[in-house]
Amino acid sequence: MAISVKVMRRPEAGRTSYMRATLKGMSLTFKHLVRPTKVTLEYPEEQPDLHPRWRGTHRMEVHADGRPKCVACGLCPTVCPANCIRLVGGEDDQGNRYPIVYEIDEFRCIFCGMCQEVCPVEAIHVGRHFENAEYTRDRFVYDLDRLMEQDHPTTLLWDPSDPRSE
Amino acid sequence: MADNGRKADTVTLTIDGHEVTVPKGTSLLHAAETLGTEVPHYCYHPGLTAPAQCRICLVEVEGAPKLQPSCVTMAENGQVVHTDSPAAKRMRQGVLEFYLVNHPLDCPICDMSGECMLQDYVFEEGREKGRGREPKRVFGRDDFGGDVLFYGDRCVMCTRCVRFMDEVARDPRLTVVERGSRAVIDTFFDRGLEGASFAGNVVDICPVGALVSKDFLHKARAWDLDRTPSVCPNCSQGCNIELHTRDNLVQRLKPRENREVNGHWMCDYGRANYEWMNRPGRLEEPAAGRGAKRCVADWRSALEHLFVKLREGAEVKAVGSASASNEALAALAAVAGAAGEVSARVFRSPRAADEVPLPGFPLLVRRRDLASNVDGAGLLGFERTGDDRANGGLEDVAGHDGALLVLGDELTDQNEDFGAAASLYVYLGTFDSPAARNADFVLPVTTFAEEEGSFVNAQGRVQRYRQGLQAPGSARPAWLVLGALAAALADGGVPESAGDVFAELVAAHPAFAGLAWDGLGDRGAALRTEAVHG
Repeated sequence: MAISVKVMRRPEAGRTSYMRATLKGMSLTFKHLVRPTKVTLEYPEEQPDLHPRWRGTHRMEVHADGRPKCVACGLCPTVCPANCIRLVGGEDDQGNRYPIVYEIDEFRCIFCGMCQEVCPVEAIHVGRHFENAEYTRDRFVYDLDRLMEQDHPTTLLWDPSDPRSE
Repeated sequence: MADNGRKADTVTLTIDGHEVTVPKGTSLLHAAETLGTEVPHYCYHPGLTAPAQCRICLVEVEGAPKLQPSCVTMAENGQVVHTDSPAAKRMRQGVLEFYLVNHPLDCPICDMSGECMLQDYVFEEGREKGRGREPKRVFGRDDFGGDVLFYGDRCVMCTRCVRFMDEVARDPRLTVVERGSRAVIDTFFDRGLEGASFAGNVVDICPVGALVSKDFLHKARAWDLDRTPSVCPNCSQGCNIELHTRDNLVQRLKPRENREVNGHWMCDYGRANYEWMNRPGRLEEPAAGRGAKRCVADWRSALEHLFVKLREGAEVKAVGSASASNEALAALAAVAGAAGEVSARVFRSPRAADEVPLPGFPLLVRRRDLASNVDGAGLLGFERTGDDRANGGLEDVAGHDGALLVLGDELTDQNEDFGAAASLYVYLGTFDSPAARNADFVLPVTTFAEEEGSFVNAQGRVQRYRQGLQAPGSARPAWLVLGALAAALADGGVPESAGDVFAELVAAHPAFAGLAWDGLGDRGAALRTEAVHG
């Protein structure tokens, strides 16, 4: 098939006035001056209102005594489609199963939230949070301490008043 | 429809609408199994007696007033059995609900999760939600000694462990104490399972997570493990096992059923001895040159140089290993034979002070020979040397001035002068050794877990094992390295698989006559008896 060429038909010079279009544009500009439609956000002074089901970087819930809630059951690394969770289970001195190593590679994570959904003890959560900038790449592998330190709100895939969806 | 013209020692019955003919004395549970129908069961285990106490295998038999336990009800002519009728299903659901009355449902932290029969059956047929509102009774956990840990809350009181220790190990160290909901498995006073030689099997036969291995505790999830059929390398019994691997490491060994060799069992010695398969610091690249002149080579140039050296011809002494496969040893013998006159073919292997038999299954004995292929090495013309700790015995070899081939023997007791006088010294091994210092060629080979091959066990049974781990670096199976050399020396074709080498082995060694690689399968095949005892 031959390439078709579209020929633009332009008004001849000197036979058309641009005055009308110019005035139309200027009137819109003046309208904004009087009654502005604001679409920008003055971040970081102003913070965006994140959707309740926004899925950001993870955080690990902790017990009152500071232990992680995770019991190292291995479901989140199993369900994770991006294979970004590394978990080594062990036993603490009180005989509780806990994660000796729990690492999430946030670069590899696709923020699907399945880890939160599958967790039987409501330990791992994705957060309503987006400010993740770091100076080095290795800081994006969050270890257990880092996950426990995170204090941003968690995503409402999970309703805190009805944790087991009963 | 009954037994028109059929032999009297079989019976024909109908299970779930399918007619099936089974030998007389077959339980309904087994008869259903031949049709591919699994009837849930806990207390029944094919290696133990059936007390019919778990009540989960109840099936409906037409004409019987009540549901019948399928594990002890024998098949009879003309029986009509329904394993999945509404009555049977309702009963199973009820039984499962009773099991869950006091079960902690701690699947997330239970080591059995993923291979637990309670989990499976409840998932398949149980109630979606529990109705229990009462608090559950709590036992906590108990150290049974040895490698066994007991979580009383998870127990379903099938008493498989009690019966195993009683009937098979004939060392009754476990019992049921108390009654009703307080019933619990326990040891006698302060005497636990420590020192028992087969107690690890109670962990395997426990259908739930009540008995777990201390060694495996929290180590890996059942669904993360890759399972490779293999043969236990820790003694010459050659128990059929599975290598359970994850992250290219062996995590545990589990017995695999083979009624000719080990039944359903394996010994604790074999089970616990797997860390050496994960030992780091392996030889990874071929190297050539003696002492300080040693430098890394690639396989092609190393083998080409070695081939030229071997062609020069010399008196050959070969040191094999009782842990090497039949294929590797046969290829070693072939290379030695093609390179010159062979004056010695020896191997060293550790021996235990005594045998450890399993009284309830007399075929299974932890043998004195603590290497897997002592009998294979013997059949392939290698002679035992050295003492019971696999030391010494190499005085002739160490100072030999001809060609010296060492396969799989780490030579830990030998000093740096080993092989100094040899005109050609080839060391095929998994680890470097001071005694390999004078080697002209150091060739990295794989362990049994990283290759395919076969062993001959103490019963004269040839058994195949399969590859469960990836070899480190460019280590190659010894049968491949030596098979390629033997082929080059004899102008033959390079073997492409362990099966090719095995075929050559069968042709060259009459003791193996009549065996075929594919015929070995996963259960092995016996050598002709005159070969074993001749």
